[in-house]
Amino acid sequence: MQEYAPPPKDPLDVFIEHRLLVERRQDAGSRDPRNHYPPELLRRFEVYLTQPGEVKSLAVREVRAAQLGHLVTVRGIVTRTGDVQPVLSVATYSCDRCGTDTFQLITSPMFTPLSLCEAPACRAERSGGRLYLQCRGSRFQRFQELRVQEHSDQVPVGGVPRMLLVHARGETTRCAAPGDHVCITGIFLPIMHPPFTRGHQGLLADTYLEAHCVTVTSKMEGQGDERAGEELTEEELKLIAEEDFYEKLAASIAPEIFGMDDVKKALLLLLVGGVERSPRGMKIRGNINICLMGDPGVAKSQLLVYIDRLSPRSQYTTGRGSSGVGLTAAVLRDPTTGSVLLEGGALVLADRGVCLIDEFDKMSEVDRTAIHEVMEQQTVSIAKAGILATLNARCAILAAANPAFGRYNPSRSLEQNLHLPAALLSRFDLIWLIQDRSDRDRDVRLAQHITYVHQHGCQPPAQFKPLPMSLMRRYLARSRTCQPSVPEALGDYVTAAYVEMRKEARGAGRDATFHSARSLLAVLRLSTALARLRLGTEVERADVNEAMRLVEMSKDSLVADRLNKARAQQPSDVVFAVVRELAGVHEGMRLGTSGGSEWDGTGRKTVRITEVRERCSRRGLASGDVEKALEDYEDLGLWQVNQARTLLSLL
Amino acid sequence: MADFGDWLQRPLAVIDKIFEHNGSDSDWQQSAIQFFEDKLQEDDSMMQVPSLNDVPLHLLQPNCLVRFRCMVQDMFDPEFYAGVYEVLDPNTQEKVLKSGKYRDVVDCAQANLQFERNFTADRQTLYCIPIPGEAAWVKEKFYQLEQGRTSPSTLHCEARNKRSLDEDGSTQAAVDGRLGRNVKRHEQPRPAGIDAGSTARLPLDLNFPLPEEKGPACLVKVYDNWDTFKVNDVVEVFGILSMDPAMSLLEDNSDETEARAALQVSEEDRCHHPPASLVPRLHLLFTQKLRHINPLLPRNPHEDTMEDLRAARAELLGFLTHATLGDELAAEYLLFHLLSSVYARRDVMPMGKFTLNLSGCANSNYSQELYAILRQLVPTSFRLPMTLEVMNGQRFCPRKDYSANRLLAGILQLSSGSLLMIDETELQTGQLDVTGVQNITALGNAITWQKVDYDFDFHQMEFPCNLNIVVTSEGKSLLPSDCQVRLKPQVVLANFNEYFGALRNSLSPALLDKFRVYLTLTRMMEYNIDDVISKAVEEDFVEMRRLEPDSITAENLHMLLTVARLLSLSVGQSSLTMLRWQRTKELEFSRRARPCEDRATGAREL
Repeated sequence: MQEYAPPPKDPLDVFIEHRLLVERRQDAGSRDPRNHYPPELLRRFEVYLTQPGEVKSLAVREVRAAQLGHLVTVRGIVTRTGDVQPVLSVATYSCDRCGTDTFQLITSPMFTPLSLCEAPACRAERSGGRLYLQCRGSRFQRFQELRVQEHSDQVPVGGVPRMLLVHARGETTRCAAPGDHVCITGIFLPIMHPPFTRGHQGLLADTYLEAHCVTVTSKMEGQGDERAGEELTEEELKLIAEEDFYEKLAASIAPEIFGMDDVKKALLLLLVGGVERSPRGMKIRGNINICLMGDPGVAKSQLLVYIDRLSPRSQYTTGRGSSGVGLTAAVLRDPTTGSVLLEGGALVLADRGVCLIDEFDKMSEVDRTAIHEVMEQQTVSIAKAGILATLNARCAILAAANPAFGRYNPSRSLEQNLHLPAALLSRFDLIWLIQDRSDRDRDVRLAQHITYVHQHGCQPPAQFKPLPMSLMRRYLARSRTCQPSVPEALGDYVTAAYVEMRKEARGAGRDATFHSARSLLAVLRLSTALARLRLGTEVERADVNEAMRLVEMSKDSLVADRLNKARAQQPSDVVFAVVRELAGVHEGMRLGTSGGSEWDGTGRKTVRITEVRERCSRRGLASGDVEKALEDYEDLGLWQVNQARTLLSLL
Repeated sequence: MADFGDWLQRPLAVIDKIFEHNGSDSDWQQSAIQFFEDKLQEDDSMMQVPSLNDVPLHLLQPNCLVRFRCMVQDMFDPEFYAGVYEVLDPNTQEKVLKSGKYRDVVDCAQANLQFERNFTADRQTLYCIPIPGEAAWVKEKFYQLEQGRTSPSTLHCEARNKRSLDEDGSTQAAVDGRLGRNVKRHEQPRPAGIDAGSTARLPLDLNFPLPEEKGPACLVKVYDNWDTFKVNDVVEVFGILSMDPAMSLLEDNSDETEARAALQVSEEDRCHHPPASLVPRLHLLFTQKLRHINPLLPRNPHEDTMEDLRAARAELLGFLTHATLGDELAAEYLLFHLLSSVYARRDVMPMGKFTLNLSGCANSNYSQELYAILRQLVPTSFRLPMTLEVMNGQRFCPRKDYSANRLLAGILQLSSGSLLMIDETELQTGQLDVTGVQNITALGNAITWQKVDYDFDFHQMEFPCNLNIVVTSEGKSLLPSDCQVRLKPQVVLANFNEYFGALRNSLSPALLDKFRVYLTLTRMMEYNIDDVISKAVEEDFVEMRRLEPDSITAENLHMLLTVARLLSLSVGQSSLTMLRWQRTKELEFSRRARPCEDRATGAREL
């Protein structure tokens, strides 16, 4: 028998075992039933209830009087945890005369200790044995008090978040720390106060939730929408998956800001993010960094604020940083304990999210050096006060900057304009210059837009209805789960495009920007983001084209002003240049080898039209313009297009 | 409905009767509320209800009907109370059902509580404070109104009897000194009794947003539709006053065990159950949201007042011109500012905000004098000197205190439409610490987005606000602003205080009242732009862009349209006309021309 008993675990086990042995030696039958071991003392398990099946969790404010006594599931954020304390559940006393054990079951927060031994031996002798509490023989339970506050998204506008008191016992203690997002299943119960104590006049009852199941939900889930985890319904998918879903999603970003279609598209891709890769330990970030630069008053901040609201996890800060911690991280000394603490700055807090930095150019010197690391390696390293740490900062950075001279000066280089080093600028995948250009057509639409807003206090009815924010959020969350890959075949295409980009940059001598290997990565990131947006599994050629178009447009936004001043570059000029280039005339040598041109029998050079279209779109031309240019030049007799409109031969 | 007796004095008796009448079905609550609503809708009966704002607490009879003009500062967690409970009458051995609604304390102390047929219900507690920054004239006018209507007999003869005798003298004094009474009340020695000791021992922070505010705070218990209340709402609540000392945990008590119990009371309980004599409870029966708190405004403005408005505008403008030292343009913009209000929000952008930066104020003297004048005109206002101590030391954004489980008020927790005058001329050179930087950010947010981020430790919560912010500064303010006007004094003053003293004295009370009515009325007016005008405006804008592509931006159009709106409202017109649009353009043009001028002269001086 002895061999099969489980090995003793704690003093209580030893104590019980000892008592059992003693009992067996004596005659077992003579004990007072009152002095039998209560099952609670011997029990080695705890019973918890869980909600059956899929039950919608409640917000703290939905837990009301009707729920009293019911099993409810509540979601919220833990704001305070008490220390884990032992709570007596079974008190064991022994008598100083007869040595008999007496047990008392305790269920309420307060109890009256027993003092007189009621065992038959003592009673018979009237010896008046006194009872003493045996700590070793009593059973204690872990007990912890938690405070749960509802999520900010569950609070109606203008309301204050509610709190709920949670009692955790036994295994449910120490499940959550302050700041954790939790989902707690438990029984909502009133606390019974002795009637007519001060402050509780019998009419009021305090309540608590007796925790049965505490699960810590991930931060992303917690902060997102209530329905963020849900799958998109068929209907909603249909709403999104229309022909122009890309345009539609982009236009749904900050619908109150007029125009800036390409910027919004870029921001959409930033929210989706590219695919992160780590071949052989090297980490290639997937997050897309964008810098918005522009004259004062072009709604940069508004875009930032909107993204802040749209993104499930974001940190909005200014370059100066709103707290002493700054952007990256700081080592602080705790004023009460004197110990050294590591406090994360905005970039660390925005891990796996978006960090929005307004007034990027006004960043402090310290942050500026640290941000290099963040933007490529996506970590923050700290070596201060004996703390060596590397914190993850896997966030996409959306920065807004004002030009150094108040307005963008096109005759200076980008670095001069932004007052930022080139090394930092190259880490941005896209840099947009939002300029306020005067153009009659645009002005009319702008004026209409603004007057309408002032007239009616709402958005003018556009052709499309902006998608609701919650739907956007869920769709973005859904698309982030895709991990599209770049097919082998497309690799060559991208490489060729990159080579061309480099060549062009050299040729045109646009000193404002430059292409580096980073630009190639940017294109790849953007194209994977585009594929994600389609919920596709593979990157397609169209994605790459669109990505390159965006890169090109962003470059254009930086230089277009100057071009406009010098000579407006007509789309037809670009088309012509492209065709010449493809045909190899431009270089005047190695005929027939470049790109898609080949000699036909007559000694004229022919070029594939699809090739032309692709290259033109990469340079940011609309397809309509390309077609028109092709026709115009055909009419002029510069080239001929064959019947099927697939080949173009130069005359 | 049958007459239920004195509903003003003993509303609880009325409620009990209705409860007995209808039995225990839940309909009785509806009929009780209906009863009081009907009673209050009768003309003038609202004014008969004594107001907590005007009548000192100790003059009120417990459990009578009172009203309170207040702002919701915080919302506590719901309270669970015995909605229906059963008592055993010791004499007749009869079980009787009682309602626990609208009361804090069981009314039969020795009764046996039975639990079989109990029914638990919940109610929400709102922590209400007097409207922060409420001008003295508003309080005074309300008080006068009150005096005119309430017959003193309905108030508190009985209350007086219940209280100790030594109070009689001070009551009289209180009645005599009513005019300054809002300030005086709390400085008066409190009537000797239970509360005096406890307040002296444990000064309770009533959690007012603005320093130096006085007045009673109140815990309002809401039974229905509590989701309609929002933080910072300005409401007038009608309810049953409950001040039973038994409710507060912290009453002074010689009983030793009790004293020990009081020590163990957590900070949370301390804040949630303050002494009833300091923070009375009010069980809500009827509420109305207030769009304005101007006591001078007729309940339904007539059409013909619009004619007077135009006359008032001219006079007010003249007056403000004196206040801006003869600068008409600045006066006009100041007038616009006083009329401005956020009327809509499109996503993140508030519409109609009009933060004014009056630059060129040489020293804080001027700003103080200007504030003294503006305070006379608007119902709620606060002047914030931007000294380093204030910026580094004060809490601007409300913050959740988790240990006490309440929202600590900050300066920016103001009711909608409050005037906030920020005096930047008081700023000296020095170091802003972390709090200071946060406070500057908070001010910036309030100005740009008309929102305040309340700090909930683990996250921030955005609360929209609607504040009229004027920044007075020497040069261009370091805070953002919608509209900067450089002050160009036309008169040279030898003595500031004398000038402004004379200016204040020149106003007759009647004229002042006219201004106040004018400002409140025009502020609330509807406004629209019809299509013809909007077309013309669009074309105008395009033309402007063509002529000056560099200096005219979308922001300018926003500004122009906002100014046009305010200009139209200021003359009492609810729609834009071409004439006003032209005038707006002229105004804006001369305003924008100013800083440049200034720079030019500044350069010359250098």
